[in-house]
Amino acid sequence: MDYDAIVVGGGHAGIEASLALSRIGFSTLLVTQRLDTIGALSCNPAIGGLSKGNIVREIDALGGEMAHLIDHSMIQFRILNRRRGPAVQAPRAQADKFTYNRLAKETVEGQSNLALFMDTVVDLLLDEAERVYRGIITERGHTITSRVLVLTTGTFMEGKIFIGEWETSAGRLGEAAAIGLGTALRQKGFPVGRMKTGTPARVRRSSIDFSRVETQQGDAIMLPFSFDYPTIDRPMRDCYITWTNEQTHRIIGENMARSPLYGGKISGIGPRYCPSIEDKVVRFPERERHQIFIEPEGIGTEEMYLNGISSSLPEDVQAAFIHSIAGLEEAEIMRPAYAVEYDYIDPTALYPSLESKLVDGLFIAGQTNGTSGYEEAACQGLMAGINAAQKLKGEKPVVLGRHEAYIGVLIDDLVTMGTKEPYRMFTSRAEYRLNLRHDSGDVRLTKKGWEVGLQSDEHLARLEEKLRRIEAVKDLLAQHTHREKSALAALKMPEVTIEELQGVVPALGRFDEATLHQVELDVKYAGYIDRQQRQVDRFTRLEAMAIDPLFDYDSVEGLSSEGREKLKAVRPFSVGQASRINGVRNSDVAILIVHLRRGGGHV
Amino acid sequence: MSRYDTQDIIYALATPWARSGLAVIRISGAGCKEALAPYFSRPAALLGAPNATMVHGSLIDEAAARIDEVVLAINTDGHGYTAEEAIEISCHGSLAVIQAILALLGRIGMRSAEAGEFTFRAFLHGRVDLTQAEAVEELVSSVSQRSRSLSLSRLEGKLRQRIDMLKDTLLTILAAVEVQLDYAEDELDEFVFPTQALTDLIASIGSLADTYQIGRLYKRGAKVVLAGSTNVGKSSLFNLLLKEERSIVSPYRGTTRDYIEADLEVGGIPIRLYDTAGLRESEDLVEQEGVVRSERLIGQADLVIHLVDSTDLGHIPEEDGRTIVVYNKSDLARIGGDKLAISAQSGEGVARLLEVVEAYLKRSIPEGGDEELVIEGERQWRLLGGAKGALLRALHLVQADAVLDVVAVELGEALSNLGELTGEVRSDDILERIFSGFCVGK
Ligand SMILES: Cc1cc2nc3c(=O)[nH]c(=O)nc-3n(C[C@H](O)[C@H](O)[C@H](O)COP(=O)(O)OP(=O)(O)OC[C@H]3O[C@@H](n4cnc5c(N)ncnc54)[C@H](O)[C@@H]3O)c2cc1C
Repeated sequence: MDYDAIVVGGGHAGIEASLALSRIGFSTLLVTQRLDTIGALSCNPAIGGLSKGNIVREIDALGGEMAHLIDHSMIQFRILNRRRGPAVQAPRAQADKFTYNRLAKETVEGQSNLALFMDTVVDLLLDEAERVYRGIITERGHTITSRVLVLTTGTFMEGKIFIGEWETSAGRLGEAAAIGLGTALRQKGFPVGRMKTGTPARVRRSSIDFSRVETQQGDAIMLPFSFDYPTIDRPMRDCYITWTNEQTHRIIGENMARSPLYGGKISGIGPRYCPSIEDKVVRFPERERHQIFIEPEGIGTEEMYLNGISSSLPEDVQAAFIHSIAGLEEAEIMRPAYAVEYDYIDPTALYPSLESKLVDGLFIAGQTNGTSGYEEAACQGLMAGINAAQKLKGEKPVVLGRHEAYIGVLIDDLVTMGTKEPYRMFTSRAEYRLNLRHDSGDVRLTKKGWEVGLQSDEHLARLEEKLRRIEAVKDLLAQHTHREKSALAALKMPEVTIEELQGVVPALGRFDEATLHQVELDVKYAGYIDRQQRQVDRFTRLEAMAIDPLFDYDSVEGLSSEGREKLKAVRPFSVGQASRINGVRNSDVAILIVHLRRGGGHV
Repeated sequence: MSRYDTQDIIYALATPWARSGLAVIRISGAGCKEALAPYFSRPAALLGAPNATMVHGSLIDEAAARIDEVVLAINTDGHGYTAEEAIEISCHGSLAVIQAILALLGRIGMRSAEAGEFTFRAFLHGRVDLTQAEAVEELVSSVSQRSRSLSLSRLEGKLRQRIDMLKDTLLTILAAVEVQLDYAEDELDEFVFPTQALTDLIASIGSLADTYQIGRLYKRGAKVVLAGSTNVGKSSLFNLLLKEERSIVSPYRGTTRDYIEADLEVGGIPIRLYDTAGLRESEDLVEQEGVVRSERLIGQADLVIHLVDSTDLGHIPEEDGRTIVVYNKSDLARIGGDKLAISAQSGEGVARLLEVVEAYLKRSIPEGGDEELVIEGERQWRLLGGAKGALLRALHLVQADAVLDVVAVELGEALSNLGELTGEVRSDDILERIFSGFCVGK
């Protein structure tokens, strides 16, 4: 055996997976097509956003890397949705792409136990029955073996790029696709499909007329995503806003037939939440204009990203419509917008541990599982890395609950229901989102990170110290009186803020901002959180009823035939998961519970 | 998937949902004795009751008002049908009493059982042998039948459509809120909460829930009491009404000699008519007791027909929402104005009386109400009420300028209530609505 673990792909999923495995202590090899693009931000130069920012902080609490990378490469920071309520606020940062990329590469290079190798994987080596993973075969003919594999191929597996009538085999513009593996996996019986996504054009900064666009500044204070340090110090850059207009839409409308999407060349399914400008014009004809954010790709570059107008129209049409936009009349297009279509593997063929149901020892993460987005990819990479390590250790997989983390929601959705379009996280996907605030990520997950060996004792001690501070603040408030009640009770009133109480309880001054803020939210939302907690309690009871993944559903009498088929296909880890499968009826769940309680199939 | 949560205390009416001498309500689940004790007149007796014993006492509500005199049959853990701690309440079979007890149980945190759920728990605890394939089949059919009957199939035709429409409206409102939470402020158009749509929705749900009263009227019928002094002709009217109506079920004597009762139907509404005939001021203890009882009867009536003698008016009570005054012996003395005059002797005016009675009983039907749209089940009514309550809270939050994330909690709760009526709403449905209705995504 050459390595304990191999990770294929140096994207956001692969980085987390390889770091997790090597940090936990397993000799790991990261094989990727190009070392220079490790951690490349393929699309927009930003990390975080609603629910995604929460994911980044969850990754950090578990001991992942993404928060550190963005903290040290950000050039603008904002807390989004301040006015919408704490449960749905989230941090978002513009990244200097080159710094992000370089830091990512530096981090994996600096990691002990982790080897890097540049090559393209074209096939997997399995045992004779094709049920157990053994190793990889590369384009240049190397065979490398390991006990487990994490596959993170992103948009590269049989990737194909489209710009109008032009198309080429590529994973990103100018970067070769990974050819061969998709075909090999199809032949091995994996459920492989096609998806597509797109990216907008990049234009030259010095060719933009800034007098005709709005400036959008970040927050005055930059806050770190990571829970490891209280502050960061980074240079700040502005973004800009402009709008399409009727002429833009007319140009797009007249050339619709030349779009590979509408011309029928692309068969993959694209995301509805991130539509191309063609889609927007077709679907919302009544809208007179669409917003465009002009974002810097970094500090040392002139490239500016045109957020909001991804497209796969021919380049002459792109130029024409971009030039119709205020501020961009003279814009010099440096990279064109394009669409990419690639192979993904139906994630319902995975267990909640992200291990394949077909091949033992094979874990799959990131865009390969039908998701899109850096954060979505990174968190899967982390969980796949953790669970591959658990497997190497002979321990049970770590599965995060829907009530514990957005990561739990994401993976549960994927493996239980699958996805028809590139899956992106939304706050509305989480039924217990009041519990999933970004600022409580450490409270929710640090312990788990520590248990699997990714967080140190100091991390745990720091968390415990934070919890003590929170309790101390609550005690302090309970001892003081404000507005004829205890200060703690007064804080429940909508108009009373923690700042106001600082006047009444001067000792609060000893505590840091983050702690005070957390207490304020805990207290103000207590009623709602309690209500949600009752739902969570109910929910976790079904989650706690474990089912052996190899449980013989044929041995259970009385299951509906559709339910039985679905259960056999999904192989849920728990009764809770079983109850969320489309096509599994209440009666099936009832019978299953009866059966499990009576001694069959318990883990 | 709350339904198979065996931690909940569940309850259900075990006898048919109909008037009867005695009704039985079953409760099962760990901790049910303790949960019920504060609402029982003899809490210590209940808590201390060993397995397979009976406890006699009264159920009382939160305000300590007596609901009914009952007998509780106790099973401790490991015994009885479900092999869980369980209580069987035997109460009087009046629908009002049953309703009041069920409502109490719901308020104190118990959950109305899904059909088949008691059997399910019995299976779970090995009370019923699962190895018998037949039994399994039975479980399947009972469980799936009920999940259908309680949500989908019972809701047919117009009612189903109406609830789907309400749900659709709510989904639109919720999507408008959720899109604000799913996307950043600067990516979206200025947001104005659809307050009007929410207010309208609350009104629509409210008026649908109100039809429950009507549904209940047709289903459970009404209590109509003939009152008035002796010799005003109550008995004659009673007998006449029974004769008029062809759909007489049975005239029979009450269990006591206080009053007699009979079932008839007026305008499709089943009516139990009580005649307090034979009562007079009396020294006789038994009869005194009878007076007290008939007063109680009047207190519980949906409608009191107070009969006066046109030839000897005496005391005339006020007409209120529950009382109509009828002047008998119109053949002997004329009563002016638009007063309701009849002759129980000749039958004159009785047809008109029946019309008035019908109109009185139906007066809760909203104007222009679609008679086909009637909520019948307690469960449907409860869910609509739950939805309405959550929406009202949402409205208050919006009016108080509260942040949207908590408004969304309330809207979500309303949606899950409606979802229980017509099928669940998944987060995908909300996203679907967002993507189709809003131009989003950078
Ligand atoms: C054109 C385009 C548009 C996008 N648009 C959006 C968008 O609109 N919204 C959004 O959220 N996200 C978008 N993204 C997606 C975002 O970039 C990805 O979600 C994220 O980078 C996925 O991370 P990953 O680790 O799964 O894969 P990637 O970042 O794609 O990394 C995969 C890595 O694996 C390597 N690799 C692949 N196959 C092999 C192999 N067989 N052998 C060796 N190495 C291999 C590749 O070279 C690459 O380095 C877009 C990406 C592209 C390219």
